[in-house]
Amino acid sequence: MEKRIRKILNEAAKEFESAGDESEIDQLYVKYFGKKSPLNKLTKKISTLDPALKPKAGQNINKAKSTLEKLFDRAKRNVKTKKASATKYIDVTAPGKKITIGHLHLVSQAIEEIVTIFSKLGYSLQSYPEIDWDWYAFESLNMPKDHPARDDWETFFVKAPPNPKLGNQVLTPHTSNGQVREMENVKKPPIRMINIARCYRRQIDISHTPMFHQFEGLLIDKNISIPNLKGTFDYFTTNFFGKNRVTRLRPHHFRFTEPSFEVDVTCDVCGGKSCRICKSGWLELGGAGMIHPKVLEAGKIDPKKYSGFAFGWGIERTISMKTKIPDIRLLYQNDIRFLEQFS
Amino acid sequence: MNISVPVSWLREYVKTDITAKTLANALSLSGPSVEKIEKRGNELIFELEVTTNRTDAYSIFGIARESNAILNAQSLKSSLVKPGGLNLNLDPDKSKPLLLDIVIKDKNLCPRFTAIIVDNIKIQPSPAYIRNRLSASGIRAINNIVDISNYIMLELGQPMHTFDFDKIKGAKMTLRKSQKGESIKTLDGNIHKLPEGSIVIEDSERLIDLCGIMGGLNSTVSRRTKRVLLFTQAYNAQAIRKTTQALAFRTEAASRFEKGIDLEGVLPALSRAVYLAKQTAGAQIASELIDIYPDKQKSKTFRLNFNKLNNYLGINLEQSKSVQILKSLGFQTKQNPNQIVVTVPSWRTQDIESDVDLIEEIARIYGYHNLPSKLPTGETPNLQESELKNVITLKNALKYLGLTEVITYSIISKKSLRISGRSAKNTVELSNPLTEEWQYMRPTIIPSLLDTIVKNQYIKDDINIFEVAKTYLSKKADLPTQDLILSICLTDSDFYQIKGLSENIANILHRQFKFEKLTRNHPLFDHSQSAVIKIDDEQVGIVGSIKSNIIDAFRIKSEVVAAEINLTKIDKFPSILNNFKPIAKYPPVVEDLSIIIAKVLPIEDLIQQIKSTASTLLKEVNILDVFENPNLGENKKSVTLRLIFQKTSGTPTSDEANEVKEKIISHLEKTFRAKVRK
Repeated sequence: MEKRIRKILNEAAKEFESAGDESEIDQLYVKYFGKKSPLNKLTKKISTLDPALKPKAGQNINKAKSTLEKLFDRAKRNVKTKKASATKYIDVTAPGKKITIGHLHLVSQAIEEIVTIFSKLGYSLQSYPEIDWDWYAFESLNMPKDHPARDDWETFFVKAPPNPKLGNQVLTPHTSNGQVREMENVKKPPIRMINIARCYRRQIDISHTPMFHQFEGLLIDKNISIPNLKGTFDYFTTNFFGKNRVTRLRPHHFRFTEPSFEVDVTCDVCGGKSCRICKSGWLELGGAGMIHPKVLEAGKIDPKKYSGFAFGWGIERTISMKTKIPDIRLLYQNDIRFLEQFS
Repeated sequence: MNISVPVSWLREYVKTDITAKTLANALSLSGPSVEKIEKRGNELIFELEVTTNRTDAYSIFGIARESNAILNAQSLKSSLVKPGGLNLNLDPDKSKPLLLDIVIKDKNLCPRFTAIIVDNIKIQPSPAYIRNRLSASGIRAINNIVDISNYIMLELGQPMHTFDFDKIKGAKMTLRKSQKGESIKTLDGNIHKLPEGSIVIEDSERLIDLCGIMGGLNSTVSRRTKRVLLFTQAYNAQAIRKTTQALAFRTEAASRFEKGIDLEGVLPALSRAVYLAKQTAGAQIASELIDIYPDKQKSKTFRLNFNKLNNYLGINLEQSKSVQILKSLGFQTKQNPNQIVVTVPSWRTQDIESDVDLIEEIARIYGYHNLPSKLPTGETPNLQESELKNVITLKNALKYLGLTEVITYSIISKKSLRISGRSAKNTVELSNPLTEEWQYMRPTIIPSLLDTIVKNQYIKDDINIFEVAKTYLSKKADLPTQDLILSICLTDSDFYQIKGLSENIANILHRQFKFEKLTRNHPLFDHSQSAVIKIDDEQVGIVGSIKSNIIDAFRIKSEVVAAEINLTKIDKFPSILNNFKPIAKYPPVVEDLSIIIAKVLPIEDLIQQIKSTASTLLKEVNILDVFENPNLGENKKSVTLRLIFQKTSGTPTSDEANEVKEKIISHLEKTFRAKVRK
């Protein structure tokens, strides 16, 4: 019996293979699965067998049936694809049918990249006011009353009565107002925070718009050192700008950090040669520094126990460094032909 | 503050063999940064940026001191040479000294006043090296006496002035505050009407000096001058700044005085001036030295702990190295175990405020580039992220839904505010706007998006844009409400498209939105073509068509549908997580049903009624189609429903399904006078 089954299967395989179109396949179906199919004939013979052999024979026939079904399915598929490829010409160089996808603004793309990089280092993204009290924007940051940033030709002030304790309302000229707010919020270090917001300054030219986006990082913990700040910047620069861009720290002066640094990245517009956008081949990425003990005190954190660093920079600057946009004002003209250049 | 430094001048005080380029790099890395190296004629110029706290470095000699300290710390050979004549014996060269009567009305105006008369002056051009250096620094050479004052200002950072002694009427000077209505003609020939409180000097007849800013024309040194008053002071910095601001007149001298002057440096500068006057004009000292210095500048000392220093540096710096760096900058040190007592040099008393400032000095001169780079270790805080984190996901989703993000200014004009239907009174207004274009903080984003549509409508037909930004709503006696808002505007779309998009957004944010008719008139949204968006009972947004009069006012050529959704409010509602429901084992029975009902009947009500009548057999009701047609009858619409019947024990029989369907039909006929379409 097994011999017969094998013979039927071999023949079927050959016939299915050579089937040229669907009607042949249909005929073969009738032949192998119809009432008079060879397997059916065998089935009828089972009753004539020795009772001990019956179950085995039944199983074998069932197995053969499922093999036949597979052969049939495969043959049918083959015939269909043969047909398709024969009738439909495909020009692989012609454009595909796309679903329309929109565009993210370059600023959002940069923010996403920055957040992703710092998330890996354990920083969380916080949101603090863009109109804030003088206390958070200046006073708590060790900026004296006569500091030029507090002049009303550098910073926008809001027409509103001042708060007796917290002072005037200002459009934050930097995201550093988040520093003391974060300390008040978390209370006990460790702190790893990033704050991204719209900031405002009273100036407009090729590299300044009165509104811009700043990004601020704050880290407070025990035994934080300048090398920790360097390590953080190196990590960021390699991940954001690529391995061929180099950073350097330069001494600088900010009231709320001591020591203070300016962080530079090699200029990509001129390739480090010096151009109208950069200074001797270096672009200022932003400011940074070790948090001034007075700022920690303003945030009710003991500077004897904890130290930390803060850094901040304009998102627009990083974009012009990366995309070679010659004029930052382009970012806010919202010409659709500009916006659609960036995915 | 930027300063031009001719390299040859710098090299007079820093004796070193290294190249200008190496020096510039060293300065940038550890001190004031060199922004540009320029060649003017034969002279190489460093354009340097000096930070505002470092008034001591705002001079050639100050830069020399920095350079020398930096080179020494990097083990590059260098030594500092002081300019000649800083400590001359200023006794009169003549037996009968001339007299000048000085009255200072308020000692706060002038913490130190020094002057000396020299005679035997021969006015002539300065030697070539002085003329060249001045012109390389952007200052025109005039004559040997006037040039001395400019030369010393650039060299030492101490501004000074020279008077023709014989033009000081009555040999008398009174230093006082200006009164209202006074004016003075300065050297440049301009007449300044002075505000109250400017520092001025008057002789026995008239004003002769606008102190710290520019001398008077009436007392200036000329070709015929024989006797000169060399004149070096420190003035009250605030008073100088107020005057320069009030007059909008800032000179090189003023920009130095308004940042504060080292009181101990005043006399050495005068001495140096005498030295140069003797060298270049044959001057002889003709009076006693006048030095009015009532309150001597106090010296500052701080204790610096080496452990603290090393914590900042992240390395173990040899104590002797720290001491050497501080000394090279002019600090004096006294060593105790594990700490030093540091005395600040007179020229740094303004900017050194604590031990941390000393740490900065050591760290920068040692070189930040020589410190290692190490990511912080330690545990990372476990904090909840703000609503901004989800915004990144949301923006990306909107992009893939075909929308383009724009970013527009949050400060708007009065006109734009008026268009958005808000009163200026309740809006956050700037007290010092830059222009009329930017005067108010916007309470809504939509007008800015409409502006963007206007700008682009002849470039592209279908404009689908969004923006996410904080908006600002004024609050009494508190900061404005600053919620994060998502605004969307679509042209070439209808209500159902913007509503569908809002529903997509609900899905993306894992929240359930309810849409209800507007109950109050909205300034931007058409009352009959819009809906409020709610979660539970709180309004979180609005969606619909922009009023046609607003579209016209903006001169937009197509209709615009929009949505404004408050993400800050939404963030406060918990997100919905769907629980797993087992997939049905048996296929459902699907029955479609078309009915005609009143046009105004909300679909939501229809579905509610169907669900309330039907048994548990009815699993889902979907809307396949809604349309209006005159053939249906006046104010009617046709709704095609798909009813899905399903049960867990097997496929429902057609009898079971029909029974429920009939029940639904009879209920709809009764409740809504619905007619079934055959």
